Amino acid sequence: MRRLPRALAILLALALVLVACGGEDTTETTQAPDSAATTVAATPTETTVGTTDTTEAMMEFAGTIRFGAAVSDTGRFAREGQDTRQGYDLWAQWLNEEYGGIKVGDDHYLAEIVYYDDEGDSDTAANLVERLITEDEVDFLLGPYSSGLTMSTSAIAEKYNVIMVEGNGASETIFERGFKNIFAVLTPAGNYTQSALKALADAGAKTVVIAYEDTAFPTSVAAGAEKWAVEYGMTVLASETYPLEVADVSSIITTFKALDPDVFVGGGHFNDALLFVRAAKEQDWTPDAMVITVGPSNPEFVTEVGADSEYIIGPTQWERTMSWETGWFGTAEDWAQRYEGLWGEPPSYQAAESTATALALHLAIEAAGTLDTDAVRQALYDMDITTFYGPINFDDTGKNAAKPMGSIQIQDGIINVVAPTEAAVADLRYPMAPWGDR
Amino acid sequence: MDLFLQALINGVMLGGFYAAMMLGFSVIWGVMGVINLAHGEMIMVGAYLSWVLNENYGMDPFVSLLIVMPIMFVIGYVLQLILINRVVNRPILASLLVTFGLSIAVANLAKLVFSADPRLTDTALSGAWSVGGVTFPVTKTAIMGVALIIMSSLYLFLQSTRTGKSIRAAAQNKQAARIVGIDINKIYALTFGICIAITGAAGALISPTQAVFPFMGTPLTLRAFTITALAGLGSIPGALMGGVVLGIVESMIGVYVPGIGTNLAIIASFVLLVVILITRPQGLFGGLRPHEEPAQI
Repeated sequence: MRRLPRALAILLALALVLVACGGEDTTETTQAPDSAATTVAATPTETTVGTTDTTEAMMEFAGTIRFGAAVSDTGRFAREGQDTRQGYDLWAQWLNEEYGGIKVGDDHYLAEIVYYDDEGDSDTAANLVERLITEDEVDFLLGPYSSGLTMSTSAIAEKYNVIMVEGNGASETIFERGFKNIFAVLTPAGNYTQSALKALADAGAKTVVIAYEDTAFPTSVAAGAEKWAVEYGMTVLASETYPLEVADVSSIITTFKALDPDVFVGGGHFNDALLFVRAAKEQDWTPDAMVITVGPSNPEFVTEVGADSEYIIGPTQWERTMSWETGWFGTAEDWAQRYEGLWGEPPSYQAAESTATALALHLAIEAAGTLDTDAVRQALYDMDITTFYGPINFDDTGKNAAKPMGSIQIQDGIINVVAPTEAAVADLRYPMAPWGDR
Repeated sequence: MDLFLQALINGVMLGGFYAAMMLGFSVIWGVMGVINLAHGEMIMVGAYLSWVLNENYGMDPFVSLLIVMPIMFVIGYVLQLILINRVVNRPILASLLVTFGLSIAVANLAKLVFSADPRLTDTALSGAWSVGGVTFPVTKTAIMGVALIIMSSLYLFLQSTRTGKSIRAAAQNKQAARIVGIDINKIYALTFGICIAITGAAGALISPTQAVFPFMGTPLTLRAFTITALAGLGSIPGALMGGVVLGIVESMIGVYVPGIGTNLAIIASFVLLVVILITRPQGLFGGLRPHEEPAQI
């Protein structure tokens, strides 16, 4: 009688251990179809992707260049981390199997990415990047997801003088520390809401309220929003902060409702977008426009929120309808189709900027013609290219000064670019219809 | 005045949600002395069950409760029988470790099964009622209503039924309960099953208002811990009052302190916890367990 439960307990305990370990593993990187061999190194929590046997038949490779990345597989940024990995992996697969590796001088090298799960924690991420540099001896680093984690990991990269190119840390504070080894392909956070606020000011909006999570990236977005709102002749009525992992924002919405502003600007990350939309609906508050920092441009947002997502405006680093075109990956739409073919889901802009990140680093290595840190850094400074993701031209601090930020609005369930005018595919719908009339 | 009333309503609604969310945690702790660190993950599982039923069969989360609760009861009963019962008599660290491991395992399992995409369920009970300048959020009012029904049923069950009395007896004095012929293991499994069913129900209830994702559990466990300490272990009226007190405090600070209100409210709730622990360690309302006076030397 007592034996069975004991056996079950042991089984369950074993299952628990397996699953717990599985969480730290980066198992999904092995799902990439056609990447023939996935090398698994000695350490149990490490997997690598990229090196393939099939290409060696076509071309002689002189060796492998190792890239390291600590990206969330679990924790708060698990979703965005997955997009980031999928973006990096798409580049690695394309590079090794189609492009023919990285050309350094006369030799061609395969690329290999070593991943760790940073669990969304900045201390863990910093430790893992240190491990990537000292134990795994990677040649270059690719960035993690989120500004906070980029802040902590770039400090380690600077300490060891290893170059990190990133595409998912937009906070200006990352680039204000005088670091020489951090480069970002994305538009910095302060400019996130610029095109949306300009379009709204042109449409007649006069007053703005801002709510933001008090972490690095949302704070930069909010500071930028305040600046641009004033610049375009609007008045900021209130500005509220809220903590990470907030569960209830009704107090903020109640305060804002009493002020009756035209435009709401808010959010920090994907979950906050869901909270703000639901809270505004249940407090029966319809501002003329809602601009939400992260979320609206992700196709998942429309799926989950349904009709309530209509009229919501969001900044976007990239959309597949944008007109960028180059020799690497073709147009934005070409890249998007390749991504869908590989991962079976439409890409978010986080995935696009991750591929662009790896591409920029790869092209800098080719331009430098060596793996030497100083030469590759100089090649990054000298870089002036246009990719499927947009123009890339780093300024002295490592920010991409060349790329404009777009704004999208959800219209009849479709994510349409509405600003800036040169990239827009549809007109801005303003003001927003009440929640009941959808 | 309208703003004050609105803040009060928001606070009471938040309190109802808190009470529903922490009740299972509180009763498990009160009856068995086990601090269930996988509590938040059980909320997450309930929320996902509700989402699956909503997504595939269009079932309203308030209806899917009827399916979610029995499933969660079975999960709880089995977990207790094969896992928790083995550590319940050991020092508290053992059960802490087991439930902590369980929380990591369940969260990662959920990620494998459901992916990390945040989800929401749709409910017909959405929108807002306006009554004299004050807005009642329909979903949260319904959550409050269902939470009250669940809480009063549990209260009646513990007070008036034979099984309920056995559970209270086991909480008060395990030895004596055994002597009078109560099968402690069975009572514990039943308690755990009921509490997990209630916890899963809380998950289903909040699924239309909060993003459901695999790692949503940890902050919820922390919250449950705070309110339990505030309210007293296993006390049902205490859970309701504790939740509402905390909800109103947070809501008032959130509305009346400009700029940093929502941040300050979170700090306030933990300051309140420390004050209560120092001045009234048995919680505001006492609880199922007799309070043990520290030994005099």
